[in-house]
Amino acid sequence: MAQEWESELLTRFQLATFLEAVRLYDEGVASAEDIDIAMRAGAGLPMGPFAWADKTGLDVVLGQLQELARAGNPNFAPPGSLADKVARGQVGNKSKRGYLSH
Amino acid sequence: MYIKKVAVVGAGTMGADICYTIAMAGIPVVLRDVSREQLDHARQHIQELFQGRVARNKMSVGDVEDRMSFITFSGDLHDLESVTLAIEAVTEKLAVKKAVFRELDLVLPPLSMIVSNTSALSISHLATVTSRPTRVAGMHFFYPAHMMKLVEVIAGHQTSTETVEAVVRLSEEIRKIPVKVKECPGFVVNRILMASMAEVLRFKEEHRLDAASIDQVVTQNKIAPMGPFMLADALGLDVALEVANTLHKALGDRFRPSSELEQLVAEGHLGMKTGQGFYSYR
Ligand SMILES: NC(=O)c1ccc[n+]([C@@H]2O[C@H](COP(=O)([O-])OP(=O)(O)OC[C@H]3O[C@@H](n4cnc5c(N)ncnc54)[C@H](O)[C@@H]3O)[C@@H](O)[C@H]2O)c1
Repeated sequence: MAQEWESELLTRFQLATFLEAVRLYDEGVASAEDIDIAMRAGAGLPMGPFAWADKTGLDVVLGQLQELARAGNPNFAPPGSLADKVARGQVGNKSKRGYLSH
Repeated sequence: MYIKKVAVVGAGTMGADICYTIAMAGIPVVLRDVSREQLDHARQHIQELFQGRVARNKMSVGDVEDRMSFITFSGDLHDLESVTLAIEAVTEKLAVKKAVFRELDLVLPPLSMIVSNTSALSISHLATVTSRPTRVAGMHFFYPAHMMKLVEVIAGHQTSTETVEAVVRLSEEIRKIPVKVKECPGFVVNRILMASMAEVLRFKEEHRLDAASIDQVVTQNKIAPMGPFMLADALGLDVALEVANTLHKALGDRFRPSSELEQLVAEGHLGMKTGQGFYSYR
């Protein structure tokens, strides 16, 4: 059984990675596809942050962020583009559309 | 624009590997440095990379001679007079880079391009010291540059579309994967890496865990190829701290460097290069 801290670490690591990727995307620095390519080819991540979020489900990711933000961690406040996508039902792989098209 | 000949200015860690990559693709390249010693070092390093390929049966000795013949190791500025694109990879100091940009602007043909491998300095700012700001861009390689596939192609405020496209094409020609990025502190990869590293450092302090346990969980779950602390030690903690400070100033609290990182740097523990960082290498 994984210890509790281990799953918290993985969640926070992946959410922090994803959130910065969303900021770059929202600022128009690069496209979601290109950010994923960059993190795979430049940082060796097995999966780009948007592919990860779309696979996890943006509704699930939003829920995790809200929980961390409520627990008093302002760095995890959900970004606007994420809430918009979830509201539109674009929650990732399972709805064929999220930050990427599937 | 057809790139006939390239220059790499600065024959250090990055410059040597970039030069090797360009010669491998069969493009003539001038490797320039102000230090004879660095040039000799670079020549030896590049020869070792080629010999490694021969040992793995990926190249013949004749191929190596052929590829080496594309490289001019040079301390002489005149060798840059027929270069179409110069890649600046000198020391990460604004004053040094500005001087190099001025020098390149004087010696390169007017239509030639100047790109910088800087990790953190402003491309737009470097462009202002030249007479050709539309022909200046960022071409950001990753360490080790002969292995890492990514090149971030950075457009400054005045960079023309043609310049961006020429750098993208050159990147493809040397078998890299180019990604177009608008100028911002840290660009894409380092900004995301530093954001996750800052979070993991906070996590470490909150839970009073050691670096090895955290790195192990990250690698065992295959969410990254290397744990964040191992990565920081390899990068150099002084470099990591400086990038963190820059991003903290530009983008806010989520990048605030942890007190542990500051303390290690203050004590001169800079990672692998000094034998002590988050890990001990002695
Ligand atoms: N090392 C990395 O992991 C890495 C990764 C990506 C980008 N970069 C960037 O690449 C650049 C070079 O970094 P590095 O690690 O190779 O540094 P380095 O210290 O290994 O090499 C710098 C070289 O520049 C030379 N130089 C200094 N002034 C010069 C001048 N006026 N004209 C010509 N040569 C001059 C030095 O003699 C030295 O050989 C920096 O901008 C750095 O931020 C580094």
